[in-house]
Amino acid sequence: MKPMELNTNKKPVWCPGCGNYAIWNALKGAIAELGLNPWEVVTVSGIGCSGKMVNYIKCYGFHSLHGRVIPVATGVKLANKNLTVIANGGDGDGYGMGLGHFIHAMRRNVDITYIVHNNRTYGLTTGQASPTTLKGVVTKSTPEGVIDEPVNPIVYALSAGATFIARGYSGESELLKELIKEGINHKGFALIDVLQPCVSFAKEFSYDFYDNRVYKLDDNYDFTSKENAYKIAYEEDRFALGIIYKDISKPSYEEQHSVLKDKALVEREVRVRDISNILSAYK
Amino acid sequence: MSMLKIKIAAPAGFGIMSMGPLLAKVLKRYGFYVMGYPEYPSLIRGGYNSYLLMISDEPVYSPYEKTDILLTYSKLSFDKEDLKSDTIVIADFEKLRVDKSNLNCKVYDIPFAKTVKEEGLPDIVQNIIGIAYLCKGMGIDISVLKEVLKGALSDKVLEVNYKAAECGYRLCTEHFVNVEWEKRDLNEHIIMTGNEVAATSAITAGVNFYSTYPMTPASTVLHFLAKYAKDYNIIVKHTEDEIAGITMAIGAAYAGARAMTGTSGGGFSLMVEGLGLAAITETPLVLFISQRPGPATGMPTWQEQADLRFVLHASQDEFVRAVFTPGDLKELFYAVFDAFNIAEKYQIPVFVLSDKYLSESIFMEDGFKTEGLKIDRGYIFEGDKSDPMNLFPRYKEYKDGIPKRAFPGTPGGIHKTPSNEHDEYGFVSDDAFIRKEQQERRFRKLENLVKEMPTPLLYGDETADITFVSWGSTKTVLFEAMKYEKNFNFIHFPSIYPIDWKSTKGLLETRKKLILIENNFTGQLGGIIAENTGVFIEDKFLKYDGRPFFVEEVLNILKRVS
Repeated sequence: MKPMELNTNKKPVWCPGCGNYAIWNALKGAIAELGLNPWEVVTVSGIGCSGKMVNYIKCYGFHSLHGRVIPVATGVKLANKNLTVIANGGDGDGYGMGLGHFIHAMRRNVDITYIVHNNRTYGLTTGQASPTTLKGVVTKSTPEGVIDEPVNPIVYALSAGATFIARGYSGESELLKELIKEGINHKGFALIDVLQPCVSFAKEFSYDFYDNRVYKLDDNYDFTSKENAYKIAYEEDRFALGIIYKDISKPSYEEQHSVLKDKALVEREVRVRDISNILSAYK
Repeated sequence: MSMLKIKIAAPAGFGIMSMGPLLAKVLKRYGFYVMGYPEYPSLIRGGYNSYLLMISDEPVYSPYEKTDILLTYSKLSFDKEDLKSDTIVIADFEKLRVDKSNLNCKVYDIPFAKTVKEEGLPDIVQNIIGIAYLCKGMGIDISVLKEVLKGALSDKVLEVNYKAAECGYRLCTEHFVNVEWEKRDLNEHIIMTGNEVAATSAITAGVNFYSTYPMTPASTVLHFLAKYAKDYNIIVKHTEDEIAGITMAIGAAYAGARAMTGTSGGGFSLMVEGLGLAAITETPLVLFISQRPGPATGMPTWQEQADLRFVLHASQDEFVRAVFTPGDLKELFYAVFDAFNIAEKYQIPVFVLSDKYLSESIFMEDGFKTEGLKIDRGYIFEGDKSDPMNLFPRYKEYKDGIPKRAFPGTPGGIHKTPSNEHDEYGFVSDDAFIRKEQQERRFRKLENLVKEMPTPLLYGDETADITFVSWGSTKTVLFEAMKYEKNFNFIHFPSIYPIDWKSTKGLLETRKKLILIENNFTGQLGGIIAENTGVFIEDKFLKYDGRPFFVEEVLNILKRVS
């Protein structure tokens, strides 16, 4: 299957130059190159520009609520572990409203891939500060500049016990595609934080801003070391791209759940169950 | 009819919440009908817990105000309880440091504390000694108690409790209460709380996904399902909050699970955004809501029925939902079972509305018939392997407003499931025609749905002068009151939406005098009736002090109005 065949008949409504186009292409490329059957792939999204992604990829798609991508995706995966579940959300969505769900998902290590379109702004609501907007930036909701410390998703993920943490950039679509493929292949929760310029509302964080600051982790980088990962996560003036941390020693949630060991939940027929032994305990 | 009301009281942590059901089981095995009502504050230790048992030689449905026998381990009893001259009080007066000479009631001073010390027993088994004392006083053979203990306790602690039971029998030297009543063979009867029944029914109905955050008085549904999760292949997930609880259940239901969530009003407040998501995506979902008093945190462990309007109207905009308001264990059992079928058949959220009193009290039933129960999963697209990449019209009307579901993984079923308004394939759309078409299609489900919901029923003498109008658990107290006073009947609503208001109007209008009875301040059902039928019920009997109605209160009302 070619990535093109994964197009729906809907044309993306993102602004010209939006970083989402690259994420879209990378995601389609990843699904196609992995040879996944599109009807066995579910994309789940939140609300915002990132949320529209589900409409443009021809596989099952659940466009959920702002900040609730993770619990919906978790429910899908727990009900049918045979599916490939790919969650898409924005920084406002996942690191703002959904921050609690994000942290807990990593504790659980459910086998879903979570792509965060991190453009450091609220694009669809026309440019308010987001949880990853850097300090000092003036926005519609912060006319005197942001005074909150930004959320550092990589640090949060490391501390929450995530087993796969990567950073991509929509200016590096090929690399992003490879990271998404790695994330999908990883058995457990995979975070892919994607640096994505919003050309309309986050002028501070333009392609130029990132082009001057991103660098690729080289082949010698040891992503099994948490110490290395923390060092990278705390870098302030430059942004490492690639797999920052990976731990294959931890079992996924599905592997640990006694009910899911042999079969997916939906593979068991729903039928009227015999409750006589429950009732006899109450006689 | 013979009737005995026994209350056991103690500080929290003393095991009262297990002692009540334990004694109830002993009495049932002995051949008496029992109903039990617990009261407790939101505390782990201390405070004042009580378990009131109504015991009778005929079915007993609800609690009474007056206690005949009080077995207490708490000094607070002497302030809190209304002790009459004929009340029997069993307590260790020396330990509690209560001067019994001033009490105007029948006193049995039993050295519980000294006994456990002398016998080398742990302090906690004073509760079993007390239960055994009561059993002997009623003339129940110790073998019945021992048999129930054996079923309830692990082998490790059984011997200690047997010994405690023997102590209790030894301490009691007389039959201080006469229960020479006719005994029945009640061995096939079950004695359960509403929440245990709701969970058991969900298991019967094939629930395989339950995700929520614990909240009194719904938490025990979570515990019950978690306990049986492995045996019945159910995923039971205690999530980080209620929002995750409902949205995870929605994700699971979308993927093909039979999903349910449960909470109380405060948790449901958080879940409301998920409710709207279930509605617009037409994802089937069962919501078990057990009410308690107060907005915000309110009174976590007490009774009220004030969330009816909330569940009927929760979420922005309008959509089809179903609301069951069962009044007793049987109705609760079948409501939960039907809720799953209705949710999946109509692809809507379905509520089963309980309350603290129904959820946590224990009631007796002669079992639940499950023969003939059928699972209806509604219209499901089976797939098309010849064209697996086909886009599927998930939101196209298949029959009576209802579309077909296609679970992810189904070849040829690819579609979108958005929280936005959408076209037939699930693509986001704000086209005026599509919006109108989709909204009208979704509401077309009502026509058949209304026929499947249970209708209000009249109980009692049809010609009686007074008719109470009730919903939910107040049914039980009206049934109990009918034992004493025949010149009233009552209409009970086992579901409230959607129902046939035309026939309901007829049922209401042909009564002589209507009195609304509800556990809330504003008479919510009364408002809903007025809105839908034009029938305005002026007389209201409303209670909102955190307690259920007691039988005596209903009888007093009848005396006042007749």
